[in-house]
Parts: sequence; structure tokens; C-alpha cells
Amino acid sequence: MPLTRRGFLASLAATVPLAVIVRRAHAAAAEYVQGDPATLDALALTVLPSQLGRAGIAREAAAFRDWAAKYKESAELVHGYGTSRLRSTGPTPLTRWTAQLDQLDADAQRLRQRRFRDLSAGDREQIVRDALKGERLDRMPAVVDASHVALALLAHFYDSPGAADLCYEAQIGRQTCRPLAAQANKPRPMLKVLEK
Amino acid sequence: MTRRAVETDVCIVGSGISAAMVAERLARTTTAKILVIEAGDDTVPLAQRAAARERFVRYNENPWGRDHLEGYEVEGPLQSRSMQVGGLAMHWGAVTPRFSPEDFKQHSLYGVGTDWPISYEDLDPFYQEAEELMGVAGEQGPEDLDPRGKPFPLPAIPLTYNLDLLKKWASSAGIAMWSQPSAKNSIPYRGRPQCCRNDTCSPICPIGAKYSPDFTWSALRKTNRITLTTRTLVRKLVLSPDGKTVTHAIATNRDRPDEPVELRAKLFVVAAGYTWSSHLLLLSAQDKAPNGVGNSSGLVGKYLAGHRNVQTIVELPLRLYPGMNEQHSLVTKQFMRLKGGSEYTRHDLRIWESSNGRAPRLTDDSGALMLGDAILDDWRRRTKTGTARVRAYYDVIPDRGSELTLDVARKNEFGDPLPKLSFRDAPESVSMRARTEESIRTLFADMARAGDGRLLRAPTVDNFQDHPSGGCRMGSDASSSVVDSWGRTHDHENLFVVGAPTCVSGSCANATLTFCALALRSAREMERGLPQASAKSSE
Repeated sequence: MPLTRRGFLASLAATVPLAVIVRRAHAAAAEYVQGDPATLDALALTVLPSQLGRAGIAREAAAFRDWAAKYKESAELVHGYGTSRLRSTGPTPLTRWTAQLDQLDADAQRLRQRRFRDLSAGDREQIVRDALKGERLDRMPAVVDASHVALALLAHFYDSPGAADLCYEAQIGRQTCRPLAAQANKPRPMLKVLEK
Repeated sequence: MTRRAVETDVCIVGSGISAAMVAERLARTTTAKILVIEAGDDTVPLAQRAAARERFVRYNENPWGRDHLEGYEVEGPLQSRSMQVGGLAMHWGAVTPRFSPEDFKQHSLYGVGTDWPISYEDLDPFYQEAEELMGVAGEQGPEDLDPRGKPFPLPAIPLTYNLDLLKKWASSAGIAMWSQPSAKNSIPYRGRPQCCRNDTCSPICPIGAKYSPDFTWSALRKTNRITLTTRTLVRKLVLSPDGKTVTHAIATNRDRPDEPVELRAKLFVVAAGYTWSSHLLLLSAQDKAPNGVGNSSGLVGKYLAGHRNVQTIVELPLRLYPGMNEQHSLVTKQFMRLKGGSEYTRHDLRIWESSNGRAPRLTDDSGALMLGDAILDDWRRRTKTGTARVRAYYDVIPDRGSELTLDVARKNEFGDPLPKLSFRDAPESVSMRARTEESIRTLFADMARAGDGRLLRAPTVDNFQDHPSGGCRMGSDASSSVVDSWGRTHDHENLFVVGAPTCVSGSCANATLTFCALALRSAREMERGLPQASAKSSE
């Protein structure tokens, strides 16, 4: 019988120390979403703006997967100002998020007898809305703090320079290397988006 | 235990920005042998900073790996844990206003605080020298408010489209503002490239367009003009039998803690910032200096200085594009000079572009979850108008009770007590606080009104005393100060303290450029006792 992701994690837990389990769990989760991206891609189609186009949404989903895969636990965070206390990154959120992707699929099977990726846009949205009931929604979270993978995907996109450009329909290019002199001018319109 | 001894002419403790200024000048103007001792590690090489910045942008990770010593959690508001080659100025914002002329004579002009033993005019040439060493880009403000002997070395960072609109708004409120001076290359300078708006100056510039002390250290190391020893903690300054001079320093290499190093020098320069300079002097208590080296006045560690800020977000009927260059700001010194007869209230004023209050959100006004196009559409609607961040730093008159003391309850790995920090306002400052903050709140409201805008939220006060300094204040009287106007300790003729610790007060502007100017002025005095370089080699 092929080893499932859950089975793999369970076998790990029985044999190796916690830190190693956590590292391997992160790697396994990253491999899982990289190897089978369809649920995440379908989720991205559900929550991200259609103006990105299908290809753009797929790119954003891939960028999110990359972000998640390269997350490092216990990495020192930038120093706080006015305090000597040091802070580090927390446990990987990816294991939680992959479990939530599984849950979206399970909900789709239970309600529509199909995989999440195969549902209509309306059905997918309903399942996501149900999944987010009870989550804290008063603000867009930081990606790493997102309690649900749908919120993480949204947070990752809306924190990007591309999202700001799309919102303002202008080539701002926040936090990218740009000619200094050009900052005196109004940002140029974002032609590609307008042409879509 | 045998100590390894190292002989040198000048021993500089610390490798932050003030140390870099002293070393650069002495290396240029003298032939003295210069040893720089740094407790931390070497910093991240320039070639690795783009990758480090990427991790910061994506994950908020500290881009300066290994930049602190373990076990240095101190009580009180330590500005930063950073301890590495380059010090805190590796991650500074490179904002470089000068203090105003009034800062140096607060008591004689306004009857508050303490006058410095030097004037703005005394410091002007050293401000200029520091600006040229670092490459400060600036715009000349109104000459009466912003006097300077020579022009800025680099043209100003151009105002963004956003800041240009905000400058017009400020003008409509009767406030003349200009481009904040910054140690960022508006043009290529000294082998470093022009700024390209990566906009993460603090904490990290990935291309080296922002000045940081490592560039000075690299140049000095390349020409073998200094020796910079890392991972070595200076733990004590030892006095001569008559107590008049420092004969040597005792240091510990963190890799070989059982082999203490004895550093012998003609001149000792403590350049370890506002915390670690006073800390070292206090740690060095001995028979001839029972309260610490340089501390016959009992004022080492006292009169820490800084300033607080009041901040708000103003919503304006302007189409702004946040993200063009968020770390650059407008500034004015208009409120740093009192009008005749008015009560003492001094502050600066800055305006930044902002995305505050204009972030994308998950729920609409009714609280309903938005998904897909709805979030973007909502965000677009809400960004038809913009917001600005407005901040005023105001004077806090230092109190003797603002102090650094040795914390007997917390010790480092070598058993030395760590510092303990506490800040408080001088009594005269306490009485001014409410009036000052109310005056700033009123100003913010007037500004919003002038732009047909509104305060998005009530102004907040940051209680942290920012841009800290002091602890070894300068003065002419040995009973009321630790060092003279050159940074030489009153007690020991070959011991200087330079930069931040020597400040008498904290002004209402970022202080790093002033630390640098003071350090360069100290270096000029040190030159007197050192072999001079030939005119050609010092050019």
C-alpha cells in the first residue's frame, strides 16, 4: 500500500525526535503541496481576484507554495526596537495548511461527492466560506499568522508589490529596485492589466 | 594566568559609526597604529545582503545573522541588541538631520536644560566632514532655520510624487517642509551605487547605497591602516598607579575565554555607544577609581537623553501611491525655534507617505466576508484617497535619574554585571509634557483641516525615548560632567569617550549625524598627541 502523507507523518512520530519530526513534517508538507498542487490551485481560483487571469492566479499559487516551502522555523526575527528581547519564527504553518487543504477535499467529497478541484466556482466558494466560519476576519493577517490556508493565500497575495500595483492600476513596484529619479513622477498606468 | 599583550598607539573600543569616524580621521591625519576591538562578529558581506534582505522581506527574519551576544537580555529600554562590526548603524535608517543651533544653548536661550560647552558653529565643520565621509544627500532648508557652512555633498533625494503633494498640503497649513537629509546615495558616491528605492534601508540596504560603517572599515582594512579584532570583549580599563592615565585594557576573546588579552595603548577611545561606553567605565571600578573609571563626578551613566514622538495618520483627499519610497520623508525645523515670549515647546515635524488605513481587508463595512474580486474592488474604492503619517519628535530634558547602572542580578557569561537602564523626564520636562503634546495634537488637527482631511485616529505618544544618547555628558566643569568638549575624560588624560554618550541633550531630531560630528571633533583633539601624517598622505 502506498504511504500517504498522514501515514508518513504518523510513522515519523513513532520513531524520531520531535525536532526532526517537525523538520521532516515541514518537508513532507512542502513536497505534498508541490507534488499535488491542484487543491491549492483551485482554492486560489476561488479566493484571488479574477483580474489576475487564470495564469496569474496559478503564478500566485506557485509563489505561495514557494513561500511556504522556504519557511524556516526558529529563525531569528528582526530585532525589536527598544527591547533586548529576541524573537524567532514559530513552528511551520504549512503542516496545518496542508491538513486544511485535505479538509477542503473531504468537505467537497462529503457535500458533493467530488474533489474540491472538480467543484463549480460557486460550490468551492461555499465550502471556503463554511471553512472560514469562526476564524478571525477583522484584518488581513500576516501570512505566517494566517489561521487558515485560504487566509494565508490571500495574505500572501495582498502583501505583494503586484497586488498594490493591481489595486492602484499603476506601476509602483513597491520594494523593488527602481530608478531614483522616476519617483518624482506619478507612477505610470499598468497597461497590461488595463488591456486584459 | 598569563595574559597575551598587544601594543598599539590608539585602542578604539567598539566598531560602530562613531568609532568608524574616529578611525577614519586618525588613519588619514596621523601615522598612529590603530587597533579597533569589537565584541561581536564581522557583519554580513555586501554580496550576501540581497539574499538576506529577501528573507527579511518575505519572513521578517533578521538580515544580520549573528549580530548579537547571547545572554545579554538587559532590564530597561535597550535600543537594540545589535553588537557587530558596524554596530547599530548597520541597520539604521540613515536619516541625518543636524541638531538645531538652539539645541546647544537651551538654558541660556530658554531657561531649560543645560547648555552644551560647544556651539552649533563649533560643530558645523565636523557636521560637514561627517556628511562628506558618509555621503549625505540633502536639501538646504531655510537658512535661518537650517544654517550650514557649506552645501550638502550630495544632491537631495528627490521628493516622490506623493511627498510633493504632501509638501503642498503642508504648505497650505503654513508649514515649509523639505527633503529629509539622508546618508543614502542620490548619485553614485565613493564607489557605492545610487539608491534604487529598494525601500528597506532600515534594516538593510541590499546594494550599499546607504552608508554603513562597514564600508569605512573595509577601506581601512584594505590599506592596512587599522587592525580590527572581532569577538573580543573589553571588560576593564586599568589605571596607572597615580590614576591619571589608562595603562591598558583587559579583554576576553570569546573563542578563548581562558586567555585574557592585555591591550596597551597611548590613547584609549571608548566608542561603544550610549549603553556599553558607560557600562565599561562602571565595570572598571578599581582602587584609584572606586566608582568606575572617569567617574569622579559620579555622573557616568547619568543623564541619558532622548526624545519622544507624537504620531498620527491623516486622511487626505489626495490620490497617493504608497510604496514609491516609504522610508523617505519631509522634514521641517520650523517648530524647533520658539517664537518670542511663547512657552517652551519644541519639536520637529515629519511627513511620510502611508498605506495606513488603506490596507486590503477581508470583510466589508457590514462585517461580511469578501472573497475573489470583492476584496480588490473594495480596496480600490478605499484607495481613491490617501493617508499620510505625521510625526513630531519633541524635546525631553534629561534627568540625572535617567541612568545606566550595573545590574547585580544579571551577569554575562564572564560574570560581569549587565547594565540596567531607566529613563525619566527632568522635573521641568514633566511640567512641559502635557502642554507640548497638546500643542502637537492641535497642530495635527489644524493640518488636517487645512487639507480638507481628518485624523484617521487620535494621535498616539510613543513613551520610548528614541535615539538615545548621554551617560558621559560633556561639560566644562569636572564636577557636573564626565568629559570635556572634546570627549576627553576630565579624570584621565589619555581616555576619550566619543559620540552618543557625550551628548548633553537629545534634541528633537535623529542624533546619529551629531554623534559622528562629535566623534570627528574628538579625533581632531586626539591628533595633537599623535605622529602626524604628511600633508600628501592625509589628503
